[in-house]
Amino acid sequence: MNRARQFGTLIGLVALCFVLWILTPYFLTVSNLLNVAEQTSINAIVAVGMTFVILSGGIDLSVGSIVALTGVILGMALRDAQPLALALTLTLAVGVICGAANGLLVSHGGLPPFIVTLGTMSIARGAALLVTEGRPISGFAPSFRVLATGRIGFVPAPVIITAAVYVFAHLVLTRTTFGRYVYAIGGNEEATRLSGVAVRFHKAMIYVVSGLMSAVAAVILTARLNSAQPIAGMMYELDAIAATVIGGTSLMGGEGTLAGTLVGALIMGVLRNGLNLLGVSSFLQQIVIGGVIVVAVLLDTVLKRKHRA
Amino acid sequence: MRKTRYALILIAATAMMSCNRGGAVGEAPGKPTIALVLKTLNHPYFVDMRRGAQEAADRLGVTLQVQAAEREIDVEKQMQIVENLIQTGIQALAITPSGSREIVSALVKARDAKVPIVVVDTRLDAKAAADAGVHAETFVGSDNYEGGRLAGEYLVKATGGKARVAILEGIPGHETGDSRLRGFREAVKDATGVTIVASQPANWERDQGFNVFQNMLQAHPDIDSVFACSDLMALGALEAISAAHRTGSIKVVGFDALDDAKKAIAEGTMAASVAQFPAEMGRAAIESAVKVIRGEKIPADIKVKLELVTRDNAK
Repeated sequence: MNRARQFGTLIGLVALCFVLWILTPYFLTVSNLLNVAEQTSINAIVAVGMTFVILSGGIDLSVGSIVALTGVILGMALRDAQPLALALTLTLAVGVICGAANGLLVSHGGLPPFIVTLGTMSIARGAALLVTEGRPISGFAPSFRVLATGRIGFVPAPVIITAAVYVFAHLVLTRTTFGRYVYAIGGNEEATRLSGVAVRFHKAMIYVVSGLMSAVAAVILTARLNSAQPIAGMMYELDAIAATVIGGTSLMGGEGTLAGTLVGALIMGVLRNGLNLLGVSSFLQQIVIGGVIVVAVLLDTVLKRKHRA
Repeated sequence: MRKTRYALILIAATAMMSCNRGGAVGEAPGKPTIALVLKTLNHPYFVDMRRGAQEAADRLGVTLQVQAAEREIDVEKQMQIVENLIQTGIQALAITPSGSREIVSALVKARDAKVPIVVVDTRLDAKAAADAGVHAETFVGSDNYEGGRLAGEYLVKATGGKARVAILEGIPGHETGDSRLRGFREAVKDATGVTIVASQPANWERDQGFNVFQNMLQAHPDIDSVFACSDLMALGALEAISAAHRTGSIKVVGFDALDDAKKAIAEGTMAASVAQFPAEMGRAAIESAVKVIRGEKIPADIKVKLELVTRDNAK
């Protein structure tokens, strides 16, 4: 069933590409496809964390704000001429701390993830604005910017980073006990706890993964814009949730794959790119993207109902 | 599964076919395509700019592609739009940068694709552009600093040099708002009777203008004048003034001369607004782009006029 759903999403992506190929000569070119892959990378990485969280039956609304906060921390460290390795470590550490705060409040505080991460969303955004006094920090060394502008062969660096993140996260999700517990907690938390799994600890770790992914995305975003903006990442949570859901992960938890999420993120990226190439009004673009999200979830529900019947 | 496929194909196909009637990019051979990338299309200012640009494009026989991000502050989305449009082989790019520094990264790609750049409304950060080796053919826009000064001089005169002023700023770090602010402060600097009692960002938005000004009024009930770096924020402040039953006792000066603001000025609830001419900017931007495509020389700076709208000249 899971496989069928995923396959369906992939066919959707292929069909979308086919339609675009017919409609515009600019779509199916190597440079445009790389362009799409690069543009999709940030959302795709944030969506990895979101997939872990949603698989466990939770939600993380704070990812966009954490992207902003970790981004400006990175920007400030680079501005103060800290070594790149230290700046990056600091950035990822802040992401982990934000995620841990979410995780502990959800797991040990017993609060609903929606409320906790709504709070963190505001706190992290406020913190990002506070430390920068609302001003972007820009102009970084080429040695850092290479994380966005560099290429290995003809493949842009963000695409390589994204691929690495997906391979690693996929292995974690499918080959480790932590990964199995993510599904188990989302499937039936009570049963998981009764079978002796340290549910609280693993639940907290899931939000740590999400915070860390936001920090990785922030690194690419900051390098790409050559600027760390405290107002960056607004609504990233919605894009990440959309990619995850289009990719077939159930909002009820317990079902879904990272491969699906990647396809979901690509569908969104391809749609935006294609609508730009076709010169579609930006208002209509929002309607189309919204429509795709709704239809994807509708299909998910319909298929599930059929499966159960 | 089959349903998935059909449904997705159907959505994609219908959506795109129906949108396609606007004309796919580069459909008419020989007719150059110019892209105009705006900050947003949900602000009357940019809608006017698009209208001016479209009129010029029709007159000059070029195809115009207008795109904008969903949110004015979303530089990353604007960058994606630029990258995507470059793929379609546009002959020139006119852009109102959502971020003076950030957008330079996208313009590097335009330069590499040999697409000439016309910057409209908001200047590029000179240092960031120079560092990246990005060269804009021209800047089309009005002088925001000058506009801020106009507003300041008016306020000094209208209050007889005695005022307690609250300022509503735009998003911090935005060149446009910062310049207006500097111009305004410069103009009131020498008027010793004019005191700036509060200055806070309301991020260009009407509802934030309302809230921020309401708070200011709580803290400083003696405020008698407001300078808002945009009319949307000024209109928000007007609502707050009316909610406090103080309509008419506080002089509000805005920026942009939106229709709603002009109406308020004519009615006497608002004092003045600095008019820019976005349609004029759009027209000049497209004319410049066409000249660049034809290899003609254009000035590095094209100034579009500014005008103070008060009760005397509000329609």
